[in-house]
This record gives sequence, structure tokens and C-alpha cells, in this order.
Amino acid sequence: MSSSDDPTEVVPLGNGRYQVTRGTKRTLAFAVAGRDTWVFLDGRTYIVSDTPDGSPRRSRVDEQGALTAPMPATVLKINATTGQQVRRNDVVIVLEAMKMELPIRSPRDGVVKAIRCEAGELVQPGTTLLELEDDPSSSGYPEQRRGVRK
Amino acid sequence: MTGPRPFDRILIANRGEIAVRVIRACREMGIESVAVYSDADARALHTTLADMAIRIGPPQAIDSYLSIDAIISAARRTGAQAVHPGYGFLSENADFASACKTAGLTFIGPPPEAIEGMGSKIAARRIAVEAGVPVVPGETPTDQSDDAIADAARRIGFPVLLKPSEGGGGIGMKTARSDRELVETIAQARREALAAFGDGTLYVERLIEKPRHIEFQILADHDGHVVHLFERECSIQRRHQKVIEESPSPAVTPSLRQRMGEAAVAVARKAGYRNAGTVEFLVEGHGDSARFYFLEMNTRLQVEHPVTEQVTGVDLVRAQIGVAGGRDLPWTQEDLSQRGHAIELRIYAEDPARQDLPQAGTLLLYREPSMPGIRIDSGVTEGSEVAVHYDPLLVKLIASGDTRDTARARALAAIRCYPILGIRTNIPLLIELLEHPKFVSGNIDTGLLDADGDAIRARLSSSPSPEAVAVAAAARAAGPPATTRSSAAGAANIDPWSSLRGARV
Repeated sequence: MSSSDDPTEVVPLGNGRYQVTRGTKRTLAFAVAGRDTWVFLDGRTYIVSDTPDGSPRRSRVDEQGALTAPMPATVLKINATTGQQVRRNDVVIVLEAMKMELPIRSPRDGVVKAIRCEAGELVQPGTTLLELEDDPSSSGYPEQRRGVRK
Repeated sequence: MTGPRPFDRILIANRGEIAVRVIRACREMGIESVAVYSDADARALHTTLADMAIRIGPPQAIDSYLSIDAIISAARRTGAQAVHPGYGFLSENADFASACKTAGLTFIGPPPEAIEGMGSKIAARRIAVEAGVPVVPGETPTDQSDDAIADAARRIGFPVLLKPSEGGGGIGMKTARSDRELVETIAQARREALAAFGDGTLYVERLIEKPRHIEFQILADHDGHVVHLFERECSIQRRHQKVIEESPSPAVTPSLRQRMGEAAVAVARKAGYRNAGTVEFLVEGHGDSARFYFLEMNTRLQVEHPVTEQVTGVDLVRAQIGVAGGRDLPWTQEDLSQRGHAIELRIYAEDPARQDLPQAGTLLLYREPSMPGIRIDSGVTEGSEVAVHYDPLLVKLIASGDTRDTARARALAAIRCYPILGIRTNIPLLIELLEHPKFVSGNIDTGLLDADGDAIRARLSSSPSPEAVAVAAAARAAGPPATTRSSAAGAANIDPWSSLRGARV
């Protein structure tokens, strides 16, 4: 914690409980440290990753255009083949977890470079499902690298 | 429902919070409980709480909690005399109820014929019509080809709902708003119906826009006494899954309540119903002139049964066990009344900021709030593993008070000091809903989360506040708590008032 002009005081009370005092306001917080640190404060739950600024991790589509599983799930269906052109929002893979189907949509227009999962496979969060690359034949548009909806 | 206990030993053919609920009722009544568990649940709360526990198979429900053979065999081996099916899984499976009967076990629920009658939506509607109760337009096409389903949808008129004919609980229900959407929707509805219920038969129904979902609890004994225990308002839903329920409904006037209650009892009588059941209605319009349509009858205990228990003072699980043991209902309709107000919040293992994605993991820290008017029906405890194999419902928080405002304030106070760490839950969404002007005023319909969902979810961004970052730093400095895997007993140390201090200036 950087010692800026932030007057927050945190006192461990044991058993995962923390007394947070800021000015005259006191709150009871709960936290568990691990690879990420989970914090419960004022009815909200935060995952504080182990980065210097405490910014939360992001995943799903990394710099190489790999689509990853957002949660543990079973691969129900693969709608794409290697080399296939896909459009933004096409459902390329359907996962299933907890009796629900979760369509995984392409974040942008492109070509399927590789498929990294099989139907029926149980995948963990962060597992790469499919790799995308830019469509060499596409002419007009600048590449759409807009944020993926979480 | 006095006298000697109706059974010595009951097997609970379920898991999670409802298995725990039934185990606790058994314990109160001096009845031994037998839990069944899959390999994924070897250390689950219900497995550890019961007097006996028996493994029934691998994690996949189809080979464990949905396996009639495995459950009947477990009941035989443990000498159970009766089986409580809970909700979901085999609870509305007539074959299972029959198999229990054949094996000499009492099925704690309605007779197989009543399950069969109400399980088929065609038969259920016929029964309702015969009972003089209005129904929503819809059909299960005999020809189940995609073309025939599409024809039925066009006949009934868009928008339509496609539902698993064998289903319940909103699982696998899909909406098609136009012809164009039909092909994909039919395929998806069929796949989900097959995956969840092992039967891809689809029911096509007209979607009534902006309806309220209001249901009536009924209880019937073997002597033909049927009573209703008033309504539950279940209009706060996301994708047809209930999220918040309450009783009484802010929309039901005394005269509407009486008409709907009589309709619910008439349907149950016509069906030859016994034990606890729920008659679901869609309600259109307001006040005494509101119209209601019979939707379906759920031939089991409902997830949201606690709100009825809180306002009527009746323990529905005890009543179920009593009726199954041959007891008469101890009340007449005139003996029953609603007192005060109750609101149930369903806490799901899902991330409301990411399209309700189901979450899995270990509950690193889990502390239940304890304060006046709060009841917690939980299937988990600190250290529990939440797996992907089952329904994401973790726990239900039920708040009661003399008025709706008191119950709502208690629900908010309790949910704000309910730390669940290790997986994301829908608690932030529940807080937003409880504070939503439409909920506060009671002006709710089943479309609230569809209409205002994006605006609500936009407020769920959880970028850590400076205080949260400071707490995280303190936690990292302190290292992992030694009690990460402590039991519920350890978790009982929390002083709920200290966590409320900031809110009570």
C-alpha cells in the first residue's frame, strides 16, 4: 500500500476479519490472500490481483487473439473449422456448465487459425479454445479490436 | 401433526440446500436421515450433516442424483422407509415415484398418477380447464419435427416460448420473437431439454408480455382435505430463473387472492393431488380486475417454500412428511392466515457482471449473517467446493418483518454483511434489485431484469476501491488465515452488529 495522502487504516482482527477506519467511518471487512486476494467490503466483493496497482486481471481474448474458457465447463459444440472465416459475434463454440449453454462468440472478424479443444472435453478457466487471426483477404475496414463484452 | 413419528428413517434423494433443509426437519422430528452423494459431493454439507451417507455414483447427475436404480438401492441398503425427493432431479419423475412404491418405500410427494398428469403440460391444462380455470394458449405438437414445432409457433402467434415438455424451474426455456429466430431456437431448446431431462419433447406457448408470476402453495391429505397457503410473488427473474420471491404479493388484492386460491384448490382436487404442490399463474393487469391464467402445477416442494413458511407459520417439510405418513392436515382453510411479509433472495454462484456466468471454486471464506428476522437455508459452508456439475444455487436468505418495507430493509442489511469469498456470486445484483425503485414500490413484472438489466449491471463494475486495495495488502501481509477451512462452528463467531456499524450512523 502506497503511503499517499490516503488515511485508510486497516487492523487485522484475526480469522479473515479486518477493521477498516477512514476518518471517523469504521467498517468490518473480510479478506483471504492467495494467488489473488479476495476482499469483501461494504457488501461488495473484489478480487485484487497481485499487481502493483491492484488492477484486476482480464482474460478471454489475449493479444494473440486466443479465445479462452471463462469458467470450468464442458465443450458442447464446435461450430468452426480451421481456416474458416468468422464474423464478429458468430457463435464459434458452445460450452455447457451447470445445465446452461454458454455461447462463445467471436470478438471480431477473422479467420480461425487453430481449434484447441474437442467436443466433450472439460476445460478450465483460461484454457485456450480457439485461435483467431486477421483475415488476409479482408480489404476495407481497420481491424476491430473493440473490448470484449464480459 | 402430533403423535408418534411417521417414519424411523428417511432417505433424501437430493443435494445442496434442500437436502440440508430436509435433514434438519428429520432431526427435529426424531427421524434418522440418509444422505446420498456423488463423488463430487463426498465432503458436501448435506453429506456430512446426515445421520448416514451413501455414495450413489460419479459426479454427472445422470449417473448419480438422476439414477433411479442407484437411489432405490441406497434406500434398500440403508433400511430407509421413505424417500424425500427435494426439488429438481427426480422430484417430478413419475417413474421414480412408482419405483419407490414397488420397492416398498413411501415417496414423500404426490401419487405417480398426479405427477404424470401434471408433468405433461397437455394433461395439466386439460385438468385446469375441467376445473374451470383459465389457461395460456399453447400446445405440445404430437409431431415433434422442427417443421411441426415451427407451424405450432406460427399458429399460436409470436412471441412464443419453447419449453421442455418434461421440464420445470425455467431450465431450457427459450423465446422466439419471429419466424427468423425459430430454427436456431428450436435446436437449442431441444438440446437443453435433452441434456437436462433426457427428453427433447418441446412445448410451445404464447409468451404473455409484462406478466406477473404468482403461485399458490397447496397441501392435500389422503382424506381429500385440500388447503392453500396463499401466494408467492416470483416476478423477479432472469432468463426465467427466479431470483427474488416474496409473500404476500404486493399486487394481489384480497378479492383476487380469494379467487386465485379457490382456483388453485380446484386444480389440485381435479388432479387427485396429495401432499405439497404449487399452482403457478401468470397475472395480467392490476387490482381486483386483474386476469390470471393457470401456467402449470409443480408437484413438489418449491425452492421458494420458506417465504410461505415465514408468513403462515406452517413448516411445509414437516407437513409433507406427516401427510406421507398418513396423517390428516391439522388445519382447515379458515385456520390459515398470512402474517407480516417475507422476502427470499437466491444466492447463486454466478457473476452478474459477466452475463451470469456460472462460477466454480472453493469457498475460501463464508460467514452467514445472523440478525432478527433472517433465516439462512444453505447448502454450503466455509471450505465447500462449488462444482460445475449442478445447479448454481448456493444458499437462500429469507428476511421477514411485519411489513414489506421492514422485510426489505432486513434483507438489505443482512446481504450487505454476508461475505462469500473464493467465487463470485450474484449478491451485488441482489443489492441493486432490492434498491431498485420498481422493487421498492412493488411495481414489478417478470421483464424487469430484461428491461433494466443492462442499466443495473452497468453499476456492478467492481474495480477495487482504495480501501479494498488497502485491505488486500493487509491480508497479503497477514498470510492465508489458518482457519480458511474452518467449520460452520468457527464461522459462527462473527458479530453481525459490528459489520453494520458503518450503516447505522
